[in-house]
Amino acid sequence: MILQLKNIFKWVNSGGNRVFLLNDIDFTVNEGEFISIMGPSGSGKTTLLNVIGMLDGFNEGEYTFLDESVHDLKEKHRARLYKEYIGFVFQAYHLIDELTVYENIETPLLYKKHSSSERKAMVADMLDRFNIVGKKDLFPSQLSGGQQQLVGIARALVSSPKLILADEPTGNLNSAQGEEIMQLFKKLNDEGVTIIQVTHSEKNAAYGSRTIHLKDGLIVNN
Amino acid sequence: MIKNYFKIALRNLFKNKGYTLINVGGLSLGMAIVLLIGLWVHDELTFNKNHDNYDNISQVMMWRTRNGKKAIRYAMPYPLGDELREKYGEDFKHVVMSSFHGDNILSFKDKNLSLRSSFMESGALSMFSLDMIYGNWDGLNNPNSIVLSETVSKAFFGTENPLGKTMKVNNELNVLITGVYRDIADNATLKGLDFIVPWELYSMLYPWVKAAKDNNLWGNNSYQLYVQIADGSTMASVNGRIKDVIYNNVSEYGRKSQPELVLHPMKNWHLRSNWKNGVNAGGFIQYVWLFGTIGLFVLLLACINFMNLSTAQSEKRAKEVGIRKTVGSSKYQLINQFLSESFLVVLVAFTVAIIMVFIVIPWFNQLADKQIVFPFKSVTFWVVSIAFVLFTSILAGSYPALYLSSFRPVKVLKGTFKTGKSTTSFRKALVVVQFTVSVILVIGTIVVEKQVDYSKNRPIGYNMNSLIMIEKTTNNFDNKYNVIRNELINSGAVVEMAESSSPLTDVWSTNSGFEWKGKSPDFITNIATVCTSHDYGKTVGWNLIEGRDFSRTFATDSTAFILNETAVKYMGLKDPVGKTIRWNNEEHQVIGVVKDILAVSPFEPVLQTVYMINYPNTNWIELKLNPERSITSSLSAVETILSKHVPNVPFDYQFVDNTFAEKFEAVERIRKLSTIFAIFAIFISCLGLFGLASFIAEQRTKEIGIRKVVGASVFNLWKLLSKDFVKLAVLAIIVATPLAYYGVTKWLNNYTYQTEVSWWIFLIAGIGAIGITLLTVSFQAIKAAVTNPIKSLRTE
Ligand SMILES: Nc1ncnc2c1ncn2[C@@H]1O[C@H](COP(=O)(O)OP(=O)(O)OP(=O)(O)O)[C@@H](O)[C@H]1O
Ligand SMILES: [Mg+2]
Repeated sequence: MILQLKNIFKWVNSGGNRVFLLNDIDFTVNEGEFISIMGPSGSGKTTLLNVIGMLDGFNEGEYTFLDESVHDLKEKHRARLYKEYIGFVFQAYHLIDELTVYENIETPLLYKKHSSSERKAMVADMLDRFNIVGKKDLFPSQLSGGQQQLVGIARALVSSPKLILADEPTGNLNSAQGEEIMQLFKKLNDEGVTIIQVTHSEKNAAYGSRTIHLKDGLIVNN
Repeated sequence: MIKNYFKIALRNLFKNKGYTLINVGGLSLGMAIVLLIGLWVHDELTFNKNHDNYDNISQVMMWRTRNGKKAIRYAMPYPLGDELREKYGEDFKHVVMSSFHGDNILSFKDKNLSLRSSFMESGALSMFSLDMIYGNWDGLNNPNSIVLSETVSKAFFGTENPLGKTMKVNNELNVLITGVYRDIADNATLKGLDFIVPWELYSMLYPWVKAAKDNNLWGNNSYQLYVQIADGSTMASVNGRIKDVIYNNVSEYGRKSQPELVLHPMKNWHLRSNWKNGVNAGGFIQYVWLFGTIGLFVLLLACINFMNLSTAQSEKRAKEVGIRKTVGSSKYQLINQFLSESFLVVLVAFTVAIIMVFIVIPWFNQLADKQIVFPFKSVTFWVVSIAFVLFTSILAGSYPALYLSSFRPVKVLKGTFKTGKSTTSFRKALVVVQFTVSVILVIGTIVVEKQVDYSKNRPIGYNMNSLIMIEKTTNNFDNKYNVIRNELINSGAVVEMAESSSPLTDVWSTNSGFEWKGKSPDFITNIATVCTSHDYGKTVGWNLIEGRDFSRTFATDSTAFILNETAVKYMGLKDPVGKTIRWNNEEHQVIGVVKDILAVSPFEPVLQTVYMINYPNTNWIELKLNPERSITSSLSAVETILSKHVPNVPFDYQFVDNTFAEKFEAVERIRKLSTIFAIFAIFISCLGLFGLASFIAEQRTKEIGIRKVVGASVFNLWKLLSKDFVKLAVLAIIVATPLAYYGVTKWLNNYTYQTEVSWWIFLIAGIGAIGITLLTVSFQAIKAAVTNPIKSLRTE
C-alpha cells in the first residue's frame, strides 16, 4: 500500500454555505497500480489529485502516505518525497518560462545528486523518447500546447519517479501522440511504477487497472 | 545548480530591463557613495598614523580656570620641556619643545623661499619617525643644522644630495643641511612642514624667546610641547603625575587660574580637538560618524529598492517557485537560489560602483580636500569589499528570498495567487523608511546651508576690500615703518599702511592683569591685546562708535587704549572714554571704542580686545591697496618697494578676504558633501518609487481599464494611483520632522552663533517630498490612465 485516504472531506465556504469539493473520499492505492480518475468538468478531479500529491490540504479525514500521516509531514520531508518519489504532470503544463526545453527537463535532476554527464545523458534520453530533440533550445512560449505537454511529461519522468500523478496528460495531444504516451505509461507500469491519471477519455482510462468516477466531489462507483 | 540559478537570474534580469536598470543602477549608485564615504572615513581615521609612535605621542596642553570657566591652551612656557625631562625623565622617551609652525625665509645663494617651518628639539625626528632620504634622526643634534623636506630639497638642489651645504634662515643664521625627509603624509597634522631647525636657534633669532629662556619665564606661554611617553607607561598615569607641574612653578598670580597640564594623545589631534569645561568634547569625529551613518542609510535606501522591486516581481516568479517545489526543491534550496540571484545583482552593481568611484575620485578629492588614491593594491580593501558585497546581498536579498521561497505550490499553480496585504504593507513601510531618511537629509542640508549663510553674514567690523597682509618674518623690517609707508603711499599703489601684532584674521595674544575702577577683586581678566601702529584704524576701516582713533598729535597716545564693544561689556564700563585702566603697572587711558572686529571664529563670540600703540611688537603689515588701480600693478609696485628696503625677503602676501574665507572651508566642505549625499539619497529613493509605481500601475491595469470604460477621467485615475504614495510621503514627513529637529539642534549646539531652526525648513522639506513623489508617481499613473482600455482588458 502506497497511500490511503480515509473519509477525506474538503470544502469551501461560500455565502454562508459549505460547498464540498471532496466529499467523504475513501481510496487506497497499492504499489504497481495504474488508476484512472474520471468525471465531468468541475467534479473535483484536479482537487483530488492535488490532495493525493500533498500540494493541497483537506479539512477532515485521514491520509496516510507510505505509512506516514500526511498531516504531520514536515515541509522538508515533503520536498524529499517530491524529489525522490513523485512525478507530477500538470493539466496546465507549468513549465518555467525562463528556461529552455532542455533546462526544464533537467530541473528535477538538479535537486538530486547527479553528475552533469549523467544529467546530460538522462535529458538526452527523454528528448529522444518524446521526439523533441530539435526543440531543446526553445523556450516554452515558442512551443505549441501539445509540445509543452510533452515537455511536462518528460520532466515528470526524467527522474524515474515511483509514483506518477498525471492530470490529463494527453489533453492537448493528437490521438497518435496520446496513444504513445499511454503506451509509455503502460510500459512504466509494467516495470513497477504506480500511476494515477486524470482523463476524460474512456480509451485512455482503459489502460489503467482500475477507474474511479467522481461527481461533485463524491466517488460514485469503484 | 549555481549555473542554473545564475542562468535564470540573468534571463530574468534581461527580460525586465527597466527594473534591472533601476535595481542595478540604484544599487551601484548607493554602493559608489558608500565606497567613497568608506574611503573618506578610512582617510580620516588613519590621520597621523604615518607616525610609528602614533600610540605614544602626545601634545602637552593646559587647562586654565578663570571666573569659573575652564579653557584649554596649546601654548606652554619655555622651561617646561627641561622640567619634564629632568624631573619626570622616566615617564618619557622624548620631550620635544617646538615653536608654533609658521613661515620662515630659507635662502641658498640668491634664491629665497618663504616656507612653513618649525624650531624643534632634536628628538623630533625620531619621535615623529620621519622617513629620512639623506642623513638620519640625529640631524638636529647640532644647533646650526637644518633638515629639509624632499620637496624643499628638490626646489633648491634638484635631485642632488644636499647634505653639507650651508643655507640661511631668515637672512640671519647660517645652517648646515644634515638631513632630508620624505614629505610628511597629506593626512597628518605635520603635513606641509617644509623644514625643521634646532630649538636652540629659536632663542638665537628672537630676543623675546631668549628672554624667556634666560629668565626661566614660567608665566610666558608661547611654545608647543610634544612628548612620547616611555614604553610601558600609560597616558593616564603620566598625565596624573605631571598635572601640577605648571602650578608648582608659576607665581602666586599665575596660580589663580589653576593651571593644570593635560596630555592630548596624537590619535585625538585631528578628530577630537574640541574642549569644553574640562573635558575633550570631540570634534571632527562627529562628521566621521555623520557621514558614516549617511553612507549606511544610502546603502539601506538602495537595498530597500532591491527588496521592494524583487517582492513586487514576486507574482511573476511565483509559478517558478511552485514548479520547483513540486519537482523536489526544498525551501532552503530556493532561499539559496534567490540569495545567489541577489548576490549576482550586487556583484554587478559593485563592479559598476567601482568604475564610478574610480572616475569621480579626483573630483571627490578636490571637493573633500583629500588625496585619496583608489586602493587597488590593498588586500584589505578587497577583503572588505567582498564582505561588503556579501553583506549587501544578504541585506537586500534575504527578505525577497524568504518571501518567495515560502509560496505554497498549489496556490501559485492554480493561478489564484495574489500578493497579500502583509507584503504590500511591508513594501509601504520600506517606502516610508526611504522617505524619512530623505526628508531628514534634506532638512539637515538646509540647516547646514542656513548656518553657513548666517555666519557669513555676521558683521566683521572692518572693510576687507583690497586689504592685504604681509607677515614680517625677519627683523629686516625693523625701524623701517615710516620709510616704507611713505614710499608706498607716494607710489599711489597703496592708500594706507599699518602694522599689528596679530593678523586681522586671528588673535595671537591674550593677557591678564588688567585693573580698573569698579572691577571685582575676584575677577580674573583675560583680554586679547593687539599692538598696532597709529594708522591701523584707517587702514582696516574699523568703525569708531565713541571717542577717537589713535593720533600722532597726542604724545600720550603711546599708552592709550582703544576697546572693542565686547571689552566694554566685559569690563562693565559705563562711558568708557576717558576711563583709566591699569596694566603692567602703567596707567592706560581709554580714548575710543570700536565695533567688534571678527577676527577668530565666525561661529564664536568676538573676544574682548584692547588695541594699543606698540611699534616694536608688531608682526604683520596691513596694506589698503588703491582701489582705483589694478590689483596686479599695485602688487608689483609694492613688491618693488619692499624688495628695495628688505632684500632677500620673498614677497609673500595674503588677501584678507581670502584668508577670512578659509575659516569657512571646513563647514563649506561639510555643506557640499552633505548636499551631494542628500541629492543622491533622494534620487535613489525616487528610482525605487518610480519602479514601484510602475509595478502597481501594471498590476492594476485591468482595474484601470474597467474604471475607464465606466467613465473615469484621466484626472480621477491619476488621483486614484497617486493618493497612496502621497499618504506614505506624509507619514514619512511626520516621522522625519522630530528626528531631524533633534539632529540639527544637536549639531547647531557646536556653535555659539546659531541660525534659527525655522518652521519653514520643515515646510519646504515636506512640500518638496510630496512634490517629488507626485512627479515620480504621476508619470506612471498618467501612462496607465491614458492607455486604451480595450488593450488592457484583453490581457485577461
Ligand atoms: N479554492 C477554491 N475555492 C472555491 N472553489 C474551488 C477552489 N478550488 C476548486 N474549486 C472548485 O472545485 C470544483 C472542482 O475543481 P477541479 O479543478 O478539481 O475540477 P476538475 O474536475 O479538475 O475539472 P476539469 O475537468 O475542468 O479540470 C470546481 O467547481 C472549482 O470551481
Ligand atoms: Mg482538472
